[in-house]
Amino acid sequence: MEAILQYLLTGISVGSVYAMVALGFYVMWSAAKAVNFTYGNVFMLGGVLTVVLVELGMPLLVAAGGAIAIATLTGAVIERVFVRPFNRDANAIGWMLTTIAVGIMMESFATATYGPLGRPLDTPFMQEPLRIGGAGIYAQELLIPVALIVLTFGLEAFYRRTVLGRALRAVALNRTAAGLVGIDADRITLFAFGLAGGIGALAGFLIAPVVQASSTMGVVVGLKGFMVAIIAGIANAKGVVVVGILYGVLERFIEGFLSSAARDAIGFTIMILALLLFPQGLFGRKEVRKV
Amino acid sequence: MSRIPPFAPRRALLGLGVLAGLALGAAAPAAAQRAQPCIGASWELTGPLAHTGLSIRIAVETAIEEINAAGGVLGQPLRLIAYDDQGEPARAVDNARRIGERDNCIVMMGGFRTPNAIALREPLDEMGLPWMGVISAGTGVIEHPNNANRWMFRVSMKDRWVAPFLVDAARARSASGRIALVYEGTAWGQGAIPDVTAAMRAANIPLAGQETFNIADTDMSAQLIRLRDAGVDTIIFYGVDREATNLLRSMDRLGYRPQIVSAWGVGVQFAQTAGPLANGVIVAGTYTWMGELPPRAAGVLQRIQARFPQIRTAADIPLPSGTANAYDATFIIAEAIKLAGRLDREAFREALFRVNYQGIVANYAPAFERRQERHDAIQASAYQLFAFHDGQLLPIAQTPYGRARTN
Repeated sequence: MEAILQYLLTGISVGSVYAMVALGFYVMWSAAKAVNFTYGNVFMLGGVLTVVLVELGMPLLVAAGGAIAIATLTGAVIERVFVRPFNRDANAIGWMLTTIAVGIMMESFATATYGPLGRPLDTPFMQEPLRIGGAGIYAQELLIPVALIVLTFGLEAFYRRTVLGRALRAVALNRTAAGLVGIDADRITLFAFGLAGGIGALAGFLIAPVVQASSTMGVVVGLKGFMVAIIAGIANAKGVVVVGILYGVLERFIEGFLSSAARDAIGFTIMILALLLFPQGLFGRKEVRKV
Repeated sequence: MSRIPPFAPRRALLGLGVLAGLALGAAAPAAAQRAQPCIGASWELTGPLAHTGLSIRIAVETAIEEINAAGGVLGQPLRLIAYDDQGEPARAVDNARRIGERDNCIVMMGGFRTPNAIALREPLDEMGLPWMGVISAGTGVIEHPNNANRWMFRVSMKDRWVAPFLVDAARARSASGRIALVYEGTAWGQGAIPDVTAAMRAANIPLAGQETFNIADTDMSAQLIRLRDAGVDTIIFYGVDREATNLLRSMDRLGYRPQIVSAWGVGVQFAQTAGPLANGVIVAGTYTWMGELPPRAAGVLQRIQARFPQIRTAADIPLPSGTANAYDATFIIAEAIKLAGRLDREAFREALFRVNYQGIVANYAPAFERRQERHDAIQASAYQLFAFHDGQLLPIAQTPYGRARTN
């Protein structure tokens, strides 16, 4: 029982990271029907830049704010320079290549300047693990699902109750029609990529104290976050959150009861089977187009 | 009927012989030519393993500076020509070709990764180029399956010898005798399984558990819960800094604190990333630059710091054993060139068996012997145990963890 609780707690924590990254993909896809494949590296910026700014003498929260702001800007720049020019046509895929290339460059640059090894990020929530029913977890790890819940409801409110959020939804629904009613779709898309950058960096900052901030910390998380978004149905925020958490928990149970070495193989297989059964994603809806 | 001069065929044959000789001379391997007084190196200078290349480079450049200040080799300065292989075997082979055929160096020095060294076996043999490893500890680097290693030498640890050393250390610290192996899912980690199993069998103790993890895994609770339930109190660990830190975090979550006895993949960065959790973790190695140093080593460290501003303290040397190995290896190379008396690779190779040198890691007397098992200069008797204590990697005798525990 204690072991099951342990797997649940750590699974929810790591699953929340996948979910936050997947939410970023959702935000980008909604606005542009394209994503930033270097998103794992934007996530990395959240951890690495916070460490760098703390080492420069900034207080932790100020450093985290700075890192998130830089990542937000980075997300917007990537959209403007590496996605928009390559996403003009309906079936354009050039943005895939450019964003992957930018990701490789970002990781190489971070490795060359920050160094290849991980560095610690000390927070007050990593001093002693909390004991819950015999299982142990750091408060920092519990902070991540809390942040995810706040973020999800915050996004929901933003999309529904603000002019900008409604404009985002309008662009997601019909880009051309949104333009006809005076919404600057390009600017809205730029904003969405910036917002996604901020979300990714927030996730990176939150997990860095647990896993160390390193130039490669976003590689696997970026991949799994994208997979979660696809399996959930990339246009459904709540679905993305649920699948992200479930996938994190599933991984822990595979490790606990089947095999640590085969975790990814089994996890990915289950996800592929799910996609075969639900081609639109577990929470996706079939897109209906009027012709 | 004209008379053919009797000497004509002889002249023709002579001419053909000269031409054939010239052709053969042009095609002769670089080994037959006069080599250059240079150490050609293929190291991981950029990319995720750049810290390993740095650990070697700082030692080799410092040693070469000392050697040249003392007159160089055979009246010429010893040079270093270093190429980056980013840890990729194919690049290491390309670099070996450059070093052996274009730069024509007397010897090549290897880097961190064992697969790179393994990939060099045949090219080195073809070129007759001596190779000196300073980190990559794979047994197969030196002990070739055909038992015919001629050109590959090493001043480093050997996995086959490390395993019994770790098992001895684990046995001395295990109160219950319940010892487990935890290893990363790489060629290095998986290669440790037969070595550790054999060493445990020789000690007549069964392995109480065997667990693996993937590179970049952040949570190892599942593996640790199984080991805890199996009553394991000591873990032999094959992994590197990041995963070692994550293992300790998982142990901390569970409130389970077995003794860790680690192979030397864990470097000084671990002390920073794991913080106080690192205290008491034991690591096998050949050297540490922290703690009380002998005067000679303290001088070497000072010169490294003077030459490389990024090395502010010993804590900035990522792989301390690798640095010390590389320093000794450079001097062994210089001694062998002097003993050879000429810049000839075959003569250099022969001279390696006559080198006697007191290094900072060990007394090499002689450095190498002819059987391939002894193309390893550092004997298991020179292996040491270090322990992390208050952010430092210290000789275990300088820490509170020197004694076997009685938990």
